[in-house]
Amino acid sequence: MALLTNHREGYNSFVAPVSPTIRVKVLFFGRLKEIIGRAEDSVDLAEGAPIEALFARYGASHPELAGFRSSLVASRNQEFAAWSTPLVSGDEVAFLPPVSGG
Amino acid sequence: MSTTAPKPNSAGLKAATADDLVLLIHDPIDPATLIDHVRTAADGAVVTFDGCVRNQSHGRRTLYLDYEAYESMAVAKMREIAAAARAQFSIDRVAIAHRLGRLDIGETSVFVAVSAPHRPAAFDACRFAIDTLKRTVPIWKKEYFEDGAMWADGELPPPPLAGPLDTPKAKPAS
Repeated sequence: MALLTNHREGYNSFVAPVSPTIRVKVLFFGRLKEIIGRAEDSVDLAEGAPIEALFARYGASHPELAGFRSSLVASRNQEFAAWSTPLVSGDEVAFLPPVSGG
Repeated sequence: MSTTAPKPNSAGLKAATADDLVLLIHDPIDPATLIDHVRTAADGAVVTFDGCVRNQSHGRRTLYLDYEAYESMAVAKMREIAAAARAQFSIDRVAIAHRLGRLDIGETSVFVAVSAPHRPAAFDACRFAIDTLKRTVPIWKKEYFEDGAMWADGELPPPPLAGPLDTPKAKPAS
């Protein structure tokens, strides 16, 4: 068993220079929180991945999200952000449903 | 409601600047606190907006509402609104409070107070503040009816590339 583990590690380090990853915090509110089933998540992404890619990841696991995409606005670090915004480690991202305060 | 001594651990309870008061609270809003905050000897007018929970929505009888917010961002956006109002109108002070959690019929969910030397600017700025809040501050309400509950239809905030809270150019009152 030890031999096999060593072999796999050696193989991976030889073949694939793994692209650097970043960790971002993701927040969900309102209807999205109910769909995802949690208010907060922590996700590892490739460095520089756009917000859109992060959303796509959740869309893959929760297909019902697709219908909401056009009615959502993204935020990065408490400021509205374009879907193409690249993310860096430590960012706080949220997908905001149409707001209804007041 | 304490407005002079914010609890350090309460993310939502913070004053914006020395002159603006921005509150996100779970306790009932006390309008007198906000009015007292904005009223100074230099002011000839204080205009307020009291947003309260209505007993029906689209013809369905409402039992109560439940508000939630992205608190850190909501407080930041409310501060921006206060600053934008002061930049755009000849006013003195702004106070904005929004309540979170369960609210029953008739309770105040949002309260805005604006003071100014003269009333036109106070009216305009108060209207700007509540209208902008409803479009841009990340707060959501769920409406509970006798036969179920649903998230209220909301408004899509403006495109992000427009930057933080552009003040609308003399937007006609609707």
